Amino acid sequence: MSSSVSVAAEWDLLSDRFYRRLTLYSPLPWSAPAAAAANSSSSGVGGAVIGRLDLSNHIVAAAPFGGPIAAVRDDSKIVQLHSEPSRRRLLLFSSSGHPIASAPWPPLLPRLHTLAFSSSLSLLALLSDGSLLRFRLPDLQPSPSSSPVPLLPPSSGGVADAVFWGGGVAILTEDNRIVVATDIEAADPQLRDLADPGVGDVEHVLCMAVVEPQFVMSGSPEVLLAVGDRVISVDEDGVQVLGEELEIGPVQKMAVSPNGKLLAAFAHDGRLLVIPTDFSRVIFEYECDSALPPEQIAWCGLDSVLLYWPEVLLMVGPNGDPVQYSYDEPIKLIPECDGVRILSNSSMEFLHRVPDCTTLIFGIGSMSPAALLYDARDHYDRQSAKAYDNYQLISSSLPEAIEACIDAAGHEFDVSRQRTLLRAATYGLAFCSRFPHERFQETCKMLRVLNAVRDPEIGMPLTIQQYKLLTAPVLIGRLINANQHLLALRISEYLNLNPEVVIMHWACEKITASASLPDTVLLEGLLDKLRLCKGISYAAVAAHADSSGRRRLAAMLVDHESQSSKQASIPLLLSIDEQDKALSKAIESGDTDLVYLVLFHIWQKVAVEKKAPLDFFGVINARPVARDLFMAYARHSKHEALKDFFLSTGRLQDAAFLLLKESRELEKNPMSSKGSPLHGPQVRLVEQAHRLFAETKEHVFESKASEEHAKLLRSQHELEVSTKQAIFVGSSVSDTIKTCIAMGNERAALKVKSEFKVPDKRWYWLKTCALATVGNWDALEKFSKERRPPGGYKPFVEACIDAGQKTEALKYIPKLTDPRERSEAYARMGMAKEAADAASQAKDSDELFGRLKITLAQNSAAASIFDTLRDRLSFQGAY
Amino acid sequence: MSQIPNLDNAPLNLAALREQSQKDLLSILKNIRGKKCLVIDPKLAGTLSLIVQTSLLKEYGAELRILSSDPLQTECPKIIYLVRSQLSFMKFIASQIKNDEPKGLQREYFLYFVPRRTVACEKILEEEKVHQKLTLGEYPLYLVPLDDDVLSLELDQSLQECLIEGDTSSIWHVAKAIHKLEFAFGVIPNVRAKGVASTKAAELLNNMQLEDPVNMDDMGIPEINTVILLDREVDMVTPMCSQLTYEGLLDEMLHINNGSVEVDASIMGAQQDGKKVKVPLNSSDKLYKEIRDLNFEVVVQVLRQKATSIQQDYAEVKSTNTQSVSELKDFVRRLHSLPEIARHVHLAQHLQSFTGKPSFHARLDIEQTILEVQNFEICFEYIEEMIHKQEPIENMLRLLVLLSLTNTGLPKKNFDYLRREILHSYGFEHMNLLYNLEKAGLFKRQESRSNWVGITRALQLIVDVNDTANPSDISYIFSGYAPLSIRLVQHAVRSGWRSIEELLKLLPGPHLDLKRGGLTFNSSLDAHPGSGAQQTIDRVGHRSLVLVVFIGGVTFAEIAALRFLSAQEGMGYDFIVATTKVVNGNSILRPIIASSKEGMM
Repeated sequence: MSSSVSVAAEWDLLSDRFYRRLTLYSPLPWSAPAAAAANSSSSGVGGAVIGRLDLSNHIVAAAPFGGPIAAVRDDSKIVQLHSEPSRRRLLLFSSSGHPIASAPWPPLLPRLHTLAFSSSLSLLALLSDGSLLRFRLPDLQPSPSSSPVPLLPPSSGGVADAVFWGGGVAILTEDNRIVVATDIEAADPQLRDLADPGVGDVEHVLCMAVVEPQFVMSGSPEVLLAVGDRVISVDEDGVQVLGEELEIGPVQKMAVSPNGKLLAAFAHDGRLLVIPTDFSRVIFEYECDSALPPEQIAWCGLDSVLLYWPEVLLMVGPNGDPVQYSYDEPIKLIPECDGVRILSNSSMEFLHRVPDCTTLIFGIGSMSPAALLYDARDHYDRQSAKAYDNYQLISSSLPEAIEACIDAAGHEFDVSRQRTLLRAATYGLAFCSRFPHERFQETCKMLRVLNAVRDPEIGMPLTIQQYKLLTAPVLIGRLINANQHLLALRISEYLNLNPEVVIMHWACEKITASASLPDTVLLEGLLDKLRLCKGISYAAVAAHADSSGRRRLAAMLVDHESQSSKQASIPLLLSIDEQDKALSKAIESGDTDLVYLVLFHIWQKVAVEKKAPLDFFGVINARPVARDLFMAYARHSKHEALKDFFLSTGRLQDAAFLLLKESRELEKNPMSSKGSPLHGPQVRLVEQAHRLFAETKEHVFESKASEEHAKLLRSQHELEVSTKQAIFVGSSVSDTIKTCIAMGNERAALKVKSEFKVPDKRWYWLKTCALATVGNWDALEKFSKERRPPGGYKPFVEACIDAGQKTEALKYIPKLTDPRERSEAYARMGMAKEAADAASQAKDSDELFGRLKITLAQNSAAASIFDTLRDRLSFQGAY
Repeated sequence: MSQIPNLDNAPLNLAALREQSQKDLLSILKNIRGKKCLVIDPKLAGTLSLIVQTSLLKEYGAELRILSSDPLQTECPKIIYLVRSQLSFMKFIASQIKNDEPKGLQREYFLYFVPRRTVACEKILEEEKVHQKLTLGEYPLYLVPLDDDVLSLELDQSLQECLIEGDTSSIWHVAKAIHKLEFAFGVIPNVRAKGVASTKAAELLNNMQLEDPVNMDDMGIPEINTVILLDREVDMVTPMCSQLTYEGLLDEMLHINNGSVEVDASIMGAQQDGKKVKVPLNSSDKLYKEIRDLNFEVVVQVLRQKATSIQQDYAEVKSTNTQSVSELKDFVRRLHSLPEIARHVHLAQHLQSFTGKPSFHARLDIEQTILEVQNFEICFEYIEEMIHKQEPIENMLRLLVLLSLTNTGLPKKNFDYLRREILHSYGFEHMNLLYNLEKAGLFKRQESRSNWVGITRALQLIVDVNDTANPSDISYIFSGYAPLSIRLVQHAVRSGWRSIEELLKLLPGPHLDLKRGGLTFNSSLDAHPGSGAQQTIDRVGHRSLVLVVFIGGVTFAEIAALRFLSAQEGMGYDFIVATTKVVNGNSILRPIIASSKEGMM
């Protein structure tokens, strides 16, 4: 077991647990290339001299989850300048110390207070006056603008202290108030004042810590302040003094544990206390040698606290002696969810608790099944028979041994050790068919991804636990933001994730970076890659091209968007002024809603630019779908525009109909109907319509009809004047005649008849009906004898039957010439015999008889059966 | 019996579809806490009664109101408008909100569009300056199951929009609705379409599948085998004919609305006069299911038989005392069907008061004469007389349109004469109507020889019916006329369009026949000759399901014809009908008349 011993020899025991310090990257290459990037002219001249990144005189921020490191020279410290430029630069490195970018620090700014990363990896710089500057990664461009966004009112006196977390910041102002922002990712973060902590003028805030909102019930952050000899908790609603009975005394330094439940507090007398954040009790305390507060304090996982004084790093756990490490150069502690990264000028290390599975295998003298399995594989590789002996010892607990080997492999950074552990697992797998093989594959897959991103070129030293927490899509997002598109694409493909995000981002970056490339060349290059991904939105890429000032490229890209109804492409086309194309695409999509979208856009544009609407009319008139939709909409709210449209496009008949509609609306208006002077305009509108119709060749009928209409309106007006009754306007020619007759004004009726050339046939129907309505039977008979009616006596018969006048009807029925009509008329009056007689004279009398039976038998036969049945069982109301 | 059909016998899981719609609606109500007033547009209110019981809405704290132009009377602080995306409703909503303003009412307004928000509607809200006050949302109700085999999009203006206004929104909706069905039941492999709107809808459906593909891996064989899309425009003749099936007649005379008719209580045998009762009509009623599609003549006989046999039983029970318990039981069991029988006896009796009139038969005669293109003069004079008598304009127009359609228009002299007589009799305000009918090709001047006779012969539309009680062909539906639309469907399922290509050219609009899906199993099937027929046999015990979509509406008579077809022996197909709306001649014409008069078309 020689190899195992050497592994465990590097571990340190803290209480009953092992901790190990892994060197992730060493030495760090950052000084020389960074200087090269900063000052290319002097790149050859020993980078060690110029621009060496020294933690001691830089303000440094590092993102968790193996994220990048940002640094800017701390101008509050005295720095010896060598041959580097005196102007400060903002530097960005990967965790492995590779320079990613650098940019000059904006001049004339207030002092930099804190540098931090948000959880989506934008770099935030809080300045001492309380304004915030934001930089985009990876190119460190200030975004959205190079001027800082003020977070604090000027009266606050600036920043006294500030604590950032992934999604927000809490700021203690010089006048001892606390302000928090929980949406730090937003371009314009919303600040909220917390309750006044009530710190007196003579008192001094010693230190500050934040319980992040996700750990607080109310969902808003809780700020802990050490003031004098007390600790207070401040949130939106109030201030609470905590743990007075614990008698901690003045606290110099505080840190909240990664799960938000515990607080490590360094007291003035050199005690380190671990307390729940509600201060209910002291979980443990440790008395340090020094009463001087540590420079940095951080949690390493959940069971130990790191304290750093220059040259000394102390790890304190719940029991037993602390572990002490010494550093002869400055370091920065970067807390992770499962440990702490230690950054120094020369190396990046990771300090964490040795996972249980690893302890099982490599622990000194471990006889656990996992250790034996690992050993067995070793024997097997050396062709020793002891391999099988080992197997027999652990055969009953093989699955857990395999599990431990796989897990331990996952936790390793060393690739060869990953391999030996996995090989041990496969040895066990050979004997164990029950074990779910996916577990093994899963770990292998994750390790492949992890090893790829841990490569110093990429420099993301993620542990497997961090990776699981971060998730693959977020990792891919981070990679593309670091411009590592190829790796991101490979990983997406390897993990079966949709590569759309990667390709899309690549395409946008490509457009930004290729300002000098001609459109056609760039398009080819883009299409090559965009084709890799089915269903990718060309419109989104086009939108980027447009915003980068390449409108022509944008138009060319949209052309490749096969999905015409994808909502994105049409607004885009509109934004780049391709209205015709947008309209065509919208029509093509068949979605009328999109057509309207384009129509309104063009319409508005015409209105804004004060162009003649003719342009708009021209555009839509060429496209029937758009034209019809515009008309349908305009009928509801844009009458005048519609009329203009009709007139300007030569649709005179439609304009005329519109005028007729207006005339009817006047009629509906109660003011106009009573023969008032408003009457004039109504007739005038109809006449206007008449003239419009007359101008066209195809609408002779309409033209004549509207001429008659105007004439009718005038006659009706006259009738209303002469009869002093407002009952004519708005009725039809026939109704006007009927009304006249019913009023006994035969002369007026005749006048209308001749004026409108009413045919005799109709005249007979109208007059008989009107006379029957008023019950003037004598007049009816007189009328029948005037002359032989041109359409026969049917109108007389029907008028009488409809009025229920049997005797009157019988005067006319015999005069009906068609035996069929005669028979039906008799039948309608229930005169069966006469009906039958008449029917027998008709040609195809059989059918007629059948029908008569139905007419006459209405209330007999079937119906009577129903009736009797219903009466007897009386099931009315059965519903 | 409920107005909401139980959908137990549906060939597709339509109940799930309906449940989803129900859930969507309730979650809208749930998400808006507290007391609220739900304002629904009038048509939609009827539609919703097929989806959810009003009592359930009230349980969710909603007070119900119908949208109108009047100010809203309610105490609720939260107002939810649930309306179809129609421009006119936006004005109502705007005026209601503006009405609240001066009163200082602090109300929260929500507007849910059915089935989706549209730019045009929002534009009106913007113009009325109420856009900012509203929280907008969508209620994606596309298809409403009316019965086991009938789905409706409830787009009642689809026909006039497509035919007259040129607004093709409903085509997009149809495609969207079918695509939604495909998400539930798989991509339909065969698509056949006839007509401008239908072929466009088929194209859109294809695009939608490209853009937002239905994942076919986790679904088995698609449940719907074929979709046949037909424009109403292709066959405007059929809806103009008087329907003679029981259900068709009920719709013609009493107007079936959302699966029920409203009649005077006295008609249904109740004592209270003047009160209206709602009679639900769907296949949950077994007797109705049995007789709805029969020719009304036969229905009367069937009802008589049923009634008589119960009457006899009753007499026996009364007269003889030596009845065994089982016989009595049997009698009681049969008595249970009594309410159903009674219900339909009442309705049938009421219908007979219409069908017994000579005018009804005269009209049927004329329809038949027009269909057979026998005697133009008689038909012309009949219509002329109707105009002179000023009979209801839609009744007159229905015949006139039928005459114009079968003659491909009227000779100029007759055309101009009738138009003038119409304007004189019904008023000049109908000028726009005549113009619109002409635009739609429903009533126009004759320009070419009519090919109607050729069509009727080729498709055997005119058939002598000998035995209405035991019909062998769909022509029983109209007592001698087989609906053109259904003849087309018959051909389409049997052998696709190929066999009647020449004939299709005589009817308006292009046609299209395509296979989709790019399914691997589909293309392998194609390799075998006659795969179409094979497929029906392959799935033993499974009949193929054909979705017939009518863009612009379908009549109950046509639905009856489809049901008749699938019940025929040797027919391996079940039909399910989807339509923009169930219509009849009057309900097609009435809105055209109204909106022409208002100048909205």
